[in-house]
Amino acid sequence: MSLKEKDEHDHLGWMEEKQLSPIEKGYLFTLIWLDKRFRVVDYLELLETMYYRVNLQMPKSHTEQYNLDNKFWYWYPLYALGSFSTLAYVVAALSGALLGFYYTPSAAAAETGTVAYSQIAMIMQDLQFGFMLRSIHRWSAQVMTAAVFLHMLRVYFTGAYKEPRELNWLLGIVLISLTMGFGYTGYLLPWDQLAYWAGQIGVEMALSIPVIGEWVAQLVFGGFSLGAPTLQRMYILHVFLLPFVVTSLIAIHIAIVWMQGIAEPH
Amino acid sequence: MADDDRRTDGREGRDVEVPLRLYKTVTVFSTLIAVFAVVFGFLLLDAAALGTGLLRQLARSILGALSLSPSDSLLSALFAVAGLLSIALGAAVYVLGTRFKAAEMSAGDD
Ligand code: HEM
Repeated sequence: MSLKEKDEHDHLGWMEEKQLSPIEKGYLFTLIWLDKRFRVVDYLELLETMYYRVNLQMPKSHTEQYNLDNKFWYWYPLYALGSFSTLAYVVAALSGALLGFYYTPSAAAAETGTVAYSQIAMIMQDLQFGFMLRSIHRWSAQVMTAAVFLHMLRVYFTGAYKEPRELNWLLGIVLISLTMGFGYTGYLLPWDQLAYWAGQIGVEMALSIPVIGEWVAQLVFGGFSLGAPTLQRMYILHVFLLPFVVTSLIAIHIAIVWMQGIAEPH
Repeated sequence: MADDDRRTDGREGRDVEVPLRLYKTVTVFSTLIAVFAVVFGFLLLDAAALGTGLLRQLARSILGALSLSPSDSLLSALFAVAGLLSIALGAAVYVLGTRFKAAEMSAGDD
């Protein structure tokens, strides 16, 4: 493969014989001019060729062998949801790391409300690109939750959880729970009214567990009522514990898919 | 315009048949230009709304080098107009690109 110009078509000569308005002529002329210099189309065509050549080297899949594509093709986009979850997770991690430069998990009193809340207000109102940064973090978090759930549905409805993939299904259940854990702990961090009362619900849910309820409330929320220890624990869960655990589990989850191969439709 | 350039499917607008390679050029570059123009337009609108943006500081320092110092509201108005123009330009480039069809496409048109 080389990028030698094929020179198969005389664009300008073609333009002369076609009836074009001056705007169309100028338009095409400009784009051809750009194409001759930047050659993006040539590179794209090269990629296309390589894609098909690599594809020809691959062994035939079960789907191709038994010609199932015509029945199954509309599921294929949904096979991207696992990767999409990973992508959303990476975006959330990066934007979260940047938010971490400016946020303080302190329930101490500030001029208005608490330090945590005033830091959020600072990010939204004073920090350059702060509004965008926090929006990216929130959106990616919500997109991830949705994508993970839809990914689970795709796995269920294609029967991909069946033997020998039971372990990955169970791991997936842990992952979706931890994803929601990320959401909950993050929701509490602004320490505004929504956060506070969501925290209150959490404590009461913990306390309602028989026998070990009080112990769980102590462990997770740092007490039976909300306070500085609650916020601090949510912060550590959100930016330390969960990232380590979820990143490792996603790596294992994808490694297992890699080793077992993707489940084929039957 | 010649009659054969009219669409056959009853929709409004002109169709121009072009060679496949030229069609690729049109699609790739019109999309690229449109994306850049629209995003840049929004950056300009942002600069118009936000008193402290980087773009605005840049414009100020360039104008300052020419010993011009326009008022904040004039600068905002200029940024807003430029932003809207850029977005309109992006849209126009994209829409103009849609009239060019490769030979195989305009025959059936779905
Ligand atoms: C953080 C959340 C998750 C991430 C990042 C993730 C990522 C992935 C990726 C990239 C794949 C490759 C195939 C594909 O994309 O469809 C996959 C496959 C799989 N996932 Fe997930 N997943 C997550 C959550 C879940 C959940 C909640 C379940 C189910 C309870 C699950 C069960 C499975 C199974 C059984 C497979 C193998 C499917 C097959 O071989 O066709 N995963 N996962």
